[in-house]
Amino acid sequence: MSRRVTQKENTRKKIVETAYHLYSLHGFSIATSQIAKEAGVSHGTIFAHFPTVDALLDFLIEDFGHTLAIKIHSLSENGNSIQELLECHIEILSMHESFYRRLISERNLLSENAQLTFADIQAMIAYHFNTVFERDIINQSIKKIPVHMLFNTWMGLIHYYLLNKEFFSPNDLLLTRYKEELISTFLELIRQ
Amino acid sequence: MKTCIACGMPMKETSDFAMSDTSKDYCIHCAKEDGSMQSFEEKRVGMIDFIIKSQGFDVEAATKIAENNMRKLPAWKSNFK
Repeated sequence: MSRRVTQKENTRKKIVETAYHLYSLHGFSIATSQIAKEAGVSHGTIFAHFPTVDALLDFLIEDFGHTLAIKIHSLSENGNSIQELLECHIEILSMHESFYRRLISERNLLSENAQLTFADIQAMIAYHFNTVFERDIINQSIKKIPVHMLFNTWMGLIHYYLLNKEFFSPNDLLLTRYKEELISTFLELIRQ
Repeated sequence: MKTCIACGMPMKETSDFAMSDTSKDYCIHCAKEDGSMQSFEEKRVGMIDFIIKSQGFDVEAATKIAENNMRKLPAWKSNFK
């Protein structure tokens, strides 16, 4: 690989990492000029790599989804218990807590394409939950509740906590702090 | 790691591949009983139904999500041109 290509890739990587960090910290309305300044590149350089802000955001969300897909697929093996899957889900989200909070609280600031990409990530998560819920409904270890309501109840619970982080855990990572309580309560609700 | 050309699922284990054949580019969920890959319409309907079943979404929203997903996958890209 030529030095010039490597340099171009390094610049792109720097832009992506800086954008991820600043969007997590300040939200999706932050100016690209600030991303450029923090990344140490000219404003125009960002647009040489990403034609629009939406393209940059879409790339970040897709990249986040890809990381999530690989992790949840390798962590949630077929024989896993619901508890292990919930732990796996929280563990993965904990690694990206600030970015994920922005995704759920500022979704309307994103382009339709980026919103659909995020919906696609949730559909992938739902797939893993669905497999485990269906198995455990059949073996009667959990209540016979429609799988979408089981999934939505879990998502509703963790999203409520995340959206109210300033009340539940203003200074520490929320999912790390409440992991045990959220999982044990959800299991208590759904177990037969 | 290979990912399924028809749904994007990472294929890590042999059992993830259609007919447990690691030379295949698509996964067990995207294969028909005879091992061949599902058609565009079969996959589209399957994805929409699955989104509704697993998340309870409205059919119109589920269709948008499924088509947006398929648009990016190597197996279906050409169907959206």
